[in-house]
Amino acid sequence: MEKIAITGGKGGTGKSTVAVLLANKFVSKGKRVVLCDLDVECPNDYLLLGQKLKNRIGKVYAEFPKLNKTKCRKCGLCVRNCRSNAIFQAPGQYPIFIYDLCSGCGLCSRICPYGAIELKKKVIGEIYLNRVSKDLHLVTGAAKAGLEETGPVVRGVKKIALKLARKIRADIVLFDTSAGIHCPVIAALQNVDYAYVITEPTPLGAYDLALILDLCRKLSVKAKIVLNQANLGDKRIVQKVLEKFKIKKFTFQIPYSEKIVRAYSQGKLLEFLSKEF
Amino acid sequence: MKICITSTGENLDSFIDPRFGRCQYFLIVDEKGKLLKAIPNQGVQAIRGAGVTAAQIVANEKVEAVITGNIGPNAFMVLGQSGIKIYAGVFRVKASQALEMFNQGKISECRAPMPGFGRRRGMEGR
Repeated sequence: MEKIAITGGKGGTGKSTVAVLLANKFVSKGKRVVLCDLDVECPNDYLLLGQKLKNRIGKVYAEFPKLNKTKCRKCGLCVRNCRSNAIFQAPGQYPIFIYDLCSGCGLCSRICPYGAIELKKKVIGEIYLNRVSKDLHLVTGAAKAGLEETGPVVRGVKKIALKLARKIRADIVLFDTSAGIHCPVIAALQNVDYAYVITEPTPLGAYDLALILDLCRKLSVKAKIVLNQANLGDKRIVQKVLEKFKIKKFTFQIPYSEKIVRAYSQGKLLEFLSKEF
Repeated sequence: MKICITSTGENLDSFIDPRFGRCQYFLIVDEKGKLLKAIPNQGVQAIRGAGVTAAQIVANEKVEAVITGNIGPNAFMVLGQSGIKIYAGVFRVKASQALEMFNQGKISECRAPMPGFGRRRGMEGR
């Protein structure tokens, strides 16, 4: 089973479009594919595929601390170690948890020498499954609105998608990441075999490409470059970035096509592709 | 009685730093206006929770009042729970002048948090 991420740094470069294109390409070659939408803050691969999010197959939880005052000795260890600065303690008082700042990492509970911090589960995200066709399953992760830290949602969705992929004996799992280089993208890129990095021949595309390639290098993820809208803009600025990262060539170049844009706008990407490619 | 003034420098001639959570220094003074110590704010660079970190530093010093410019909701809440009085809305004066104004009763106690203006404005997850 091959695990492939689709990422790109910049928003709107065509990550989701390429993810769907790739899914379809693999299916047409007789592979069984799980497409996993890890853009949990605004998942919309399902829209490109003309689907609805109806079949919820699971939830993602985070654990938030709750103090047991009979056990707490006010030692302050949790306060000093909280990475989110989410615990406050007035001198001689019990610690207070500030839930708006808490990332739900559970460290405070683990390090408390008196076992005074219990963890309470809270839903932070939901997971949906669509069987788009015989050999294409779509798993969608959706974070709860207002959630500060969505990396844990991505990790949770990924786990369930991989479990499903093993169960149905999928050949390929595609992880469509969000834009950016922050926590949810890092979580999505971890432990993949390689990543398709989607970019565009614009100054913005080139700049954000450098950022995501730097991240891939740090995570030891092999990057394959896909240049979208290749015939627009100036390719050379993107090539310069590739040289800097010692990448020899574009793996794919996708020319601008009004047909793709039309299919994209109508949520008929898959239908269109199966006819045209 | 110990008082904390948020400041841009380490002495009373420095200007008040209007940001509570992301101020440069906490000046701890006694009731006579004598500078007891200047604590550099380690929380300035915190990605989140600077206000709470600052409140923790101040609370550990066992001060009874804080004089600052602006204070966000998280810091306001935890300082309030520690019984520390907050005197805010002081801008563009030296720390020594702020202390004088405080002693003359010219600064009123702050009873509601202000919209912060630190990096994330103390409004995480809202």
